[in-house]
Amino acid sequence: MNVIESRGLTKTYGNLKAVNNLSFDIEENKVTGLIGRNGAGKTTLLKLIAGFLHKTSGEIEVFSDNPFNSIKVSSNMIFIDDKMSFPASLHLVDILEAAGNFYDNWDAGLANGLIDYFNLNPRQPHSSLSKGMKSAFNMIIGLSARCPLTIYDEPTTGMDVAVRKDFYRALLKDYLQNPRTIIISSHLLNEVEHVLEDILLLREGQKCMHMPVEELKELAICLKGKAGIIQELATGKEIYHKENIGKDSAYVVVKNDFTEDRLQNVKLSGVEITPVATDELCVFLTSRNKGGIDDVFDRN
Amino acid sequence: MSQLKLNTEGMKPIYVQIAEWLETEILSASIKSDEKIYSQYQLAEMFNINPATAAKGLNILADEKILYKKRGLGMFVSPKAKESIQEKRKNQILKNLVLELVTEAGRLGVDENELISMIKTSNKFVGGRDHERN
Repeated sequence: MNVIESRGLTKTYGNLKAVNNLSFDIEENKVTGLIGRNGAGKTTLLKLIAGFLHKTSGEIEVFSDNPFNSIKVSSNMIFIDDKMSFPASLHLVDILEAAGNFYDNWDAGLANGLIDYFNLNPRQPHSSLSKGMKSAFNMIIGLSARCPLTIYDEPTTGMDVAVRKDFYRALLKDYLQNPRTIIISSHLLNEVEHVLEDILLLREGQKCMHMPVEELKELAICLKGKAGIIQELATGKEIYHKENIGKDSAYVVVKNDFTEDRLQNVKLSGVEITPVATDELCVFLTSRNKGGIDDVFDRN
Repeated sequence: MSQLKLNTEGMKPIYVQIAEWLETEILSASIKSDEKIYSQYQLAEMFNINPATAAKGLNILADEKILYKKRGLGMFVSPKAKESIQEKRKNQILKNLVLELVTEAGRLGVDENELISMIKTSNKFVGGRDHERN
């Protein structure tokens, strides 16, 4: 069953198409990573799914309903980001109690356990929390609400490395016990990819890739060696990235449609074959032009 | 339970590493024939990975008949699992390692006799260690 179905979804701000003709489905109980550069349209898309924004054109259905102004979507969905605002006078414990009244599946035991683990003082007002602690608190609400559709927009902003690790571990453990549909947006793919099943990669408001993480990992390989040999190997292949090193060496990132035997031969001919980290590949796939930052400095 | 470590930098996909870890568990007889193997959820928890990735690792072994499915009960170790893992590793992994070894020897100008004597020395060394252990 699909929890989200989107067809030709578009959202414009003035002349800018923040989300541009986007079609995709998200299946029930999958953890999907929404990945893209700054300004790729991640937050806009998540807000369209959550029903916080009105689409400009196209179709979006969440739980078979138009999410905008839908009580069904609102009561089955939670949207966590770093701009969540709570009344300044409320203490954490009051906010948790109110959240418990709102969400049917609220797990107070989990919420209290996490508050305790992350050393948050329940008698503290929300406004006095540091940036990282706010993110941790919001994350606790997101986990404890156990909403059938849980959306995290850049959930780890401001968290230190240890808290990030704990957060993703908590997310995974809770997901194993209570499977649900989860979407996490991030531009730090390497810290989140292990918990993901699928990746939806956005480039300038459009869909760049939507596939299982494990497939994306095997999509490309990096070949490094003498420029001539590399050139020959890359001919006819889909090239994601190309760079010359030193005088006559080069490396290319190409689509890996080589056979096992062919790769073995290539290796024996002295070409170095390495995997391409998923986050690196995503940068190549979403680059706006073929060059890189070096080109800015090489103008002269 | 503490998490087991995976190599996330290398060429090997996570689900292949899961399959290999399970094979090693079977080879070392931690899980015996006709015993139930870990579920995708247990593996996900142990290795801190998405359960779909863990399932992919289990399915590789099911496709190779190293595991068999019992409807509603999960996956179990086939009676011939150990032999087929040994056979597979010999034919694939060992063969590739030998190929790399021979290529590197060629690059360094080590001739066949020298290479064979190096292998013999290593074999003696490893054999000696095994002997001490027994």
